[in-house]
Amino acid sequence: MTVTVEKRGVTGKAAQAGHPRRPRDSYALFLLPGVLAFLAVIIVPFLMNTYVGFTDWQGVGSPDWTGLANYRELMDDSEFWASFRHSLFMVVAMAAVPTAVGLVLAAALFDYVGKHFGSRVTAVLRACFYLPQVLPIAVAGIVWSWILAPDNGSLNALLKAVGLSSWQQDWLGDPDIALYSVMGVMVWVQLGFPLVVFMAGLQRVDPQLYEAAELDGAGWWRRFWHITLPQIRPEIYVVLTWCTIAALKVFGAVYVLTKGGPGGATDVPSYFSFTTFFEKTQVGYGAAISTVLTVIILALSLIGLRLQTREEDRS
Amino acid sequence: MLTARRRVVATAVLAAGALLLTSCGDSDSGSSGDGKTLKLWHYEAPNSAMGQAWNEAVKEFKATHPGVKVEFEEKGFEQIQKTAPMVLNSSDAPDVMEYNKGNATAGLLSKQGLLTDLTQEATARGWDKKLSASVRTTSMYDTNGVMGSGKWYGVPNYAEYTMVFYNKDLFKKYGIAEPKTFDELTAAMDKFVQNKVTPLANAGAEYPAQQYLYQLALSKADRAWVDSYELYKGKTDFHDAAWTYAAETYADWVKKGYISKTSSSTKAEDAGVSFLQGKAPVFFSGSWWYGRFVDEAKFDWGTFLWPDSNMTLGSGGNLWVVPKGAKNKELAYDFIDITMSKKIQNLLGNKGGVPVAADASAITDPRSKALIDNFNTLSQRDGLAFYPDWPVPGFYDVLVSQTQKLITDSEKPDGYLDALQDAYDKGAPKQ
Repeated sequence: MTVTVEKRGVTGKAAQAGHPRRPRDSYALFLLPGVLAFLAVIIVPFLMNTYVGFTDWQGVGSPDWTGLANYRELMDDSEFWASFRHSLFMVVAMAAVPTAVGLVLAAALFDYVGKHFGSRVTAVLRACFYLPQVLPIAVAGIVWSWILAPDNGSLNALLKAVGLSSWQQDWLGDPDIALYSVMGVMVWVQLGFPLVVFMAGLQRVDPQLYEAAELDGAGWWRRFWHITLPQIRPEIYVVLTWCTIAALKVFGAVYVLTKGGPGGATDVPSYFSFTTFFEKTQVGYGAAISTVLTVIILALSLIGLRLQTREEDRS
Repeated sequence: MLTARRRVVATAVLAAGALLLTSCGDSDSGSSGDGKTLKLWHYEAPNSAMGQAWNEAVKEFKATHPGVKVEFEEKGFEQIQKTAPMVLNSSDAPDVMEYNKGNATAGLLSKQGLLTDLTQEATARGWDKKLSASVRTTSMYDTNGVMGSGKWYGVPNYAEYTMVFYNKDLFKKYGIAEPKTFDELTAAMDKFVQNKVTPLANAGAEYPAQQYLYQLALSKADRAWVDSYELYKGKTDFHDAAWTYAAETYADWVKKGYISKTSSSTKAEDAGVSFLQGKAPVFFSGSWWYGRFVDEAKFDWGTFLWPDSNMTLGSGGNLWVVPKGAKNKELAYDFIDITMSKKIQNLLGNKGGVPVAADASAITDPRSKALIDNFNTLSQRDGLAFYPDWPVPGFYDVLVSQTQKLITDSEKPDGYLDALQDAYDKGAPKQ
């Protein structure tokens, strides 16, 4: 209150004297739309979802308060845990592999292709890798389901054409292979994002470091390991955090490609939550799954941000 | 006088309140409730038999209700299916809407008090007389939302049933006669397999696979069995003779090559297209394909009911429901009445649909006549056995994922039936 009183006095005097108002107050107004949108779109639905997670509700009528019953059921739900295991596979496909491959590709494009073939070729290749990120996932999913179709899919046709008929598979219909097929599609979808971020990061690395290393006789791999990697570590943290979150909440690709099948082999928590919520109309249980997923994603985000901040402080 | 900070906070609170009120509540989108606007939602494609019939019904409605505006919104099946409870709970509810029939859909909404009781209108306008008993089953729901008895909450204007579609040209090519019995059907399939043709179009990722399976069970079932399973009038044991026969026969058919081992990820559309392309000589599915096959098949084809079975999948079509919050209910009843009129029903029949109240002599198209004759045969022997996913919310997904396991041989029939029993017992109302 003291501050307010003092401030009122200052404001009054400043106004009388014709001084401009303090900028902090004016800036606060600019935050208002964002705060309101955040409240309406994130906080309120999140709180409502958390509340619904403690109830037994079919989506209409009055929800019955059941406390932790949904969470207890979740603990023993083998389908949920299976979907969560699939999520870990998705983290490999959407975060680990694209980050590792993206790093090597970005360094190769920046350090090798750029120098030998020019920036235009580099830009075209970068755009090609990024293209799947621009495509709506529904479109990409439908196209991939054609490619991977067992009888008339182009992948099997290609294998047959090159004499590898024995490699033909029911890519999305065989429970032993379907998850890996979806993972393959997700690597293709996701690769462009880390590549572009890493290439942007490489722009800020001092070229003299590379020149000095080259003069010292360091080969491409040594330069990559000792210069590129340490220099763009902040970007790596950002990409890993971002992609891990994307992997944990992946939904569209599973919905379009397999609908969680065959026999639940590609089910993931977000799709599991969706079917529980809308198909089984177990809204309370679906909300509990969403809440658990949100908490896990939040925790991972905080860990990622913390690691990133620590790295920035260290450097 | 407010400080700058307080002004910001106060504005924020007021704006947040306004925003929340706007997002949660009363955003009437124009229905006046004054008898001048009929707000109508349905999800039939404009070129389908039903789509064409409902368009004609709208014209008829406008002619008989001068000055009344029809606000039609074309929705998707999934769109209405997923959002209906929320929409019907709001002030944006339409006056009349097409909705899926069954316990987990219309039954659930009626139980929650979101639908208008149409019993009085059904009697007064004679809808109850026009619909046969098996078609009427999906119109009525008891206080627990279980179909078959209680009050009227919906009105179906058409019916649907499953049949065997077969490619006459392919049967001729391999010297196979049209099967009249189940043994002849399996003999025909053996012959196709010997000629390296997979006889049955199947789709493991969607409804066709489970419909084959349910049909196999129905061939060993009777009305009491169906009533136990669908209407909970008794205990359903998935290890009984009918279900066991169905699961074992289905798994056997995959082994024998009647059903492709690679059909676990295919969708209904793929199955229909493989029949249309002349790849699969037989497709067992519903009358909803009929019009499309008439339009697109480039070969001679025919249909027959599943041999040696009194029962098959089918029911009254989707329902017209009147939301509890509808503003112009009288107009909604008038519209439903028009869709039940001879004129619209005859049009529906001639466009390849299965009308429920048509004038038999007015159906002139021979294929449509055959379709309706088959339905009448089924109806007369009380042979409509509904669909396997109806009894329990979410059972469709269970059936899809478990039947996929039978196709890929990652589950044996016994385990398959255990999984169905488990899901059914969890979801069915406790007796």
